[in-house]
Amino acid sequence: MRNETKETITVCPLSELPPGAMRLVQWEDLEIGVFNCSGTIYAIEDRCSHDDGPLVEGTLDQRNCTIECPRHGSIFDLRTGIPKTLPAYEPVDTFPVIVEDDAIKLEVE
Amino acid sequence: MATPELIPPSKIEETQQALAQINADYAERYGFHDPENYLYKAPKGLNEEIVRKISEFKDEPQWMREFRLKALEHFLARPMPNWGSPLLAEVDFDDIHYFVRASERAGRSWDEVPEDVKKTFDRLGIPEAERKFLAGVGAQYESEVVYHQVREDLEKQGVLFLDMDSGLREHEDLVREYFATVIPPNDNKLAALNSAVWSGGSFVYVPPGVHVEMPLQAYFRINTENMGQFERTLIIADEDSYVHYVEGCTAPTYSSNSLHSAVVELIAKPGARIRYTTVQNWSQNVYNLVTKRAIARERATVEWVDCNLGSKLTMKYPSVYLLGEEAHGEVLSIAFAGAGQHQDAGAKIFHVAPRTTSNIFAKSISKDGGRSSYRGMLEVAKGAVEARSKVVCDALLLDERSRTDTYPTIRISEDDVNVGHEATVSKVGEDQLYYLQAHGIPEDEAAKMIVNGFIEPITKELPMEYAVEMNRLIELQMEGSVG
Repeated sequence: MRNETKETITVCPLSELPPGAMRLVQWEDLEIGVFNCSGTIYAIEDRCSHDDGPLVEGTLDQRNCTIECPRHGSIFDLRTGIPKTLPAYEPVDTFPVIVEDDAIKLEVE
Repeated sequence: MATPELIPPSKIEETQQALAQINADYAERYGFHDPENYLYKAPKGLNEEIVRKISEFKDEPQWMREFRLKALEHFLARPMPNWGSPLLAEVDFDDIHYFVRASERAGRSWDEVPEDVKKTFDRLGIPEAERKFLAGVGAQYESEVVYHQVREDLEKQGVLFLDMDSGLREHEDLVREYFATVIPPNDNKLAALNSAVWSGGSFVYVPPGVHVEMPLQAYFRINTENMGQFERTLIIADEDSYVHYVEGCTAPTYSSNSLHSAVVELIAKPGARIRYTTVQNWSQNVYNLVTKRAIARERATVEWVDCNLGSKLTMKYPSVYLLGEEAHGEVLSIAFAGAGQHQDAGAKIFHVAPRTTSNIFAKSISKDGGRSSYRGMLEVAKGAVEARSKVVCDALLLDERSRTDTYPTIRISEDDVNVGHEATVSKVGEDQLYYLQAHGIPEDEAAKMIVNGFIEPITKELPMEYAVEMNRLIELQMEGSVG
């Protein structure tokens, strides 16, 4: 069971996730993909809504701010979690990102 | 799941005689081949050099070249699917020519088409059909489209009907916006293959509110031995528009195998309707491994009418994603599996939005040791309240050597839905014959009625004048069933 209240977790120093980089964060039963897309940090659930593909192992497109699932090729908008192509049709969860004191933090609940 | 019934022995011989006529004249009508006067024929086998060469030949933008090369990586990295048919393991990707150019460019008059190729299409009745009842025609020979024409009045209304290569050249922005959004290159191994080496196919755009009353037709012809044909089709029907696209295909009969692996993407915007009819009559040395998928937005309708007669192995499951409220999807599928053939066909419908509706009607006839399979997927996502769907699969087995299987998958994540599934395999039985005879109908006539009734839901949906194949074959079957 996840907590009902919001919690802030620290991912890493900002300098460790330069533009184009991505990394996996585990928190309780959640796996979260954290991406640096041309200087802006985004976080989405690291599980494709089509077939549970690991999104952080996919291809990051910084120009369009999307991640392509390595399993069947669905492309997700990192800003909204909404799939832009089939075969996925349901969005994945997104998480608020805070960058403070040179650290990347996520709000989870 | 229902168990297939066998036809009573008294009717087996008669029905077999009727069905034996199906494609009996294939060699004469379609199995011929022309001499090869090609501008380019790639050596057998697939590698990065071939993919680059195809892209160079077509003088493509860099993004498409990169798309192809990435798709090739996906294709090479993926294993062959381990489901479907055992025949799939026999496909030899190294024994295929991946690109053959027969003509310099797609002509807009038949006079511009090379003589041998023009003769072939004359023999197949395409120019005649075009004159009589079609709004536009595309004719693909080997890897590329050799003829393309659309009626002038439709062009004036903004309808685009081009071969896919020209579509990319002349409407790059539109193609880039939608290409591979319905079927990504790594959707599956065969989609990856097509994405790497695609060539030809159709690009259709219908502007808002425009109804294309007569069908657009594409005809696909393989001529050479060990050929791979990889057409790519993208149809976009803008809001409240309508279009009916019909495709047919044939090939010469060779002792070695050819491969046809298409990708077809349909996008029906709000209120639009797309009907896509296929009459697949490849020769029995062709592996037909095709990915077809559609998106239907609010109030849109997508209908697949899918007839599979030919090929050695067909694996094809036209799909509709009902993404907008009140969208409707329909798949009508008929398959004939004769000696040495496996028709693994079916349909997939995904109800994603509220009040979406769908129907799947699948029919198959297996004879002389042939095998037919229905493979279906019906999914209702959470939130697709008041979705309604009906799935009916009927299989007819004509002898004990033949085989039919049904593999339906239903996933429902919403309570407020209405879904029906009937796997009523063969309905031809003594009780039906007896019932009709008891009403004064002679036995022969009763058998005809049963066979007609079996295929009627599909045949009634085909364009009456459709020049190529299916109707003639169905008529043969009906005539034969009179006995």
